[in-house]
Amino acid sequence: MNSPPEDPSTAQHDGRPVLSDADLLTRHIGGDPHAFSEIVKRHRDRMWAVALRTLGDPDEAADAVQDAFVSAYRKAESFRGEAAVTTWLHRIVVNACLDRMRRKSVRPVADDELIEAAERDAPLTDQAGEREVSLEVTAALKVLPPDQRAALVLVDMMGYSVDDAAAVLGVPAGTVKSRCARGRAKLAPILSHLRNRSDLTRVSSAKGAELRDG
Amino acid sequence: MTGDTHYDLEVLAELAEGLLDDSTARRVREHLALCDPCGESLADLAAVREVLAAVPVPAMPLGVAMRLDRALAAEAPDWDRVMRDAPWESAHVPWESARWENAAPQGAPQENGVNAPEATPLRLTADALTPDALIADALAADALTPDALTADADQTVRAPRRPAPRRTEARGRAEVRRPAGRRTPRRNRWAMPVAAAAAAVAVIGGAGLATGLLSSGNTPQGYALGQADTSAAPTKSVKDKTSYLVAASGHNYTGRELKGPLLGYFGVGPASGSNADTVLDACVKRTSARLDRTPIGVDKALYNGNEATIMAFWEDKASNAVRVVVVDSDCHRLRAEDLATWK
Repeated sequence: MNSPPEDPSTAQHDGRPVLSDADLLTRHIGGDPHAFSEIVKRHRDRMWAVALRTLGDPDEAADAVQDAFVSAYRKAESFRGEAAVTTWLHRIVVNACLDRMRRKSVRPVADDELIEAAERDAPLTDQAGEREVSLEVTAALKVLPPDQRAALVLVDMMGYSVDDAAAVLGVPAGTVKSRCARGRAKLAPILSHLRNRSDLTRVSSAKGAELRDG
Repeated sequence: MTGDTHYDLEVLAELAEGLLDDSTARRVREHLALCDPCGESLADLAAVREVLAAVPVPAMPLGVAMRLDRALAAEAPDWDRVMRDAPWESAHVPWESARWENAAPQGAPQENGVNAPEATPLRLTADALTPDALIADALAADALTPDALTADADQTVRAPRRPAPRRTEARGRAEVRRPAGRRTPRRNRWAMPVAAAAAAVAVIGGAGLATGLLSSGNTPQGYALGQADTSAAPTKSVKDKTSYLVAASGHNYTGRELKGPLLGYFGVGPASGSNADTVLDACVKRTSARLDRTPIGVDKALYNGNEATIMAFWEDKASNAVRVVVVDSDCHRLRAEDLATWK
């Protein structure tokens, strides 16, 4: 899941050829009632992850993702094919998130207040370690201005390349790098105590998605 | 620069990102070779990337995915399709109320004799024919505005048009479902004092119309209306300390999912189910009493494939910690209580 660009993966389980995202979008524009649901099914987990990380609040993220997909559904014709469908979708989701943040003009949190919050949140149980890290990161990201947060979510959390993130955000690659650098500089004092933790392994959610989708 | 001066984190982050011009970069590198504190800072910066990358990527919660599907279905131009996929048409299917209606009376038999027959949610019963209930029916019929009619095609539409036949039909159903011998305890419920009716309202805490119906006799349609009114009400009432939502997501929870965040499961999806299911209600009350607090959410669902009721209680709201209780239909714990995150 390292980059947004198209992944017309080889074949489906039942052997039928898999339509590319662009094909599906064309079919959707042509009136195929199922094409867009397939696009949604393919990408909703990633879009959810981006929105949840960017906004740090499940209610807000759910609204943003829904707004974004509905908007994409309506303006499918405006997709010109010069970018990957996933990049286009990411852009719509990220913009929906940024709109929400700007509208709400999230209260800036002082650093020490945040560290206190992180310390208060910290000890649940041992097995909750991963949870704890997640909470701390969510809290820490809220210190950042929206632009820096969005850049770090895409590059450091979602693992996209700087170029892909630049395409999603609609800014030059150098701007993404500089937003990431400034964001990391702000996060370093807050998250430095998590250095060298053994439980920092990326855990895939594939199992959860599989259970859910049957 | 080997003295007391150090580079700040932003400069070091820009160095790592290759953003500094050559001469500045060289100067900073020379300093780094000699300065331990700045080396530490650089390591802290690298750790930020690691920590961010290590945060697990969550799958979209079931409730959010279903809400999204409904929103997109409503976009479809074909009218038949809109009707078919609209929340009031499809609500029963995904939330599987039917399975629970059938499963609860059989799965939780007479051991709990007084309460067992209550487990027939969303249906009128023979006792609806008592005088109190007739009044309740009349009130319910009055309360049914055109909005309510569209809100729940499945059950309420028939009610105001043909009140008498509906009661007959309801009795027929009820008798098939419940052996006659269990009527007496149930009757007591309809003689429920005002205070208890008010409690039922507090439990649901949902849309105004739904609570109106409840207070006028606990007619089951109230829940169905609450269920149809999906998007806004449930998430709001979750935050209300005095109420809890009964969802019936049918979702098959894994141990991992129950560590949270739970809001996506309990808060975003529509609330359905019913506290007319007093087996469940008694179990929730008992658990609440034991923990000395009100649940923030209750979901009738599955846990590792077994039918289960998941209850969430605040452990510490300030730190986003939730205590999760998982019980079977007999209110026996299916797993040890554990803490989870809410958001």
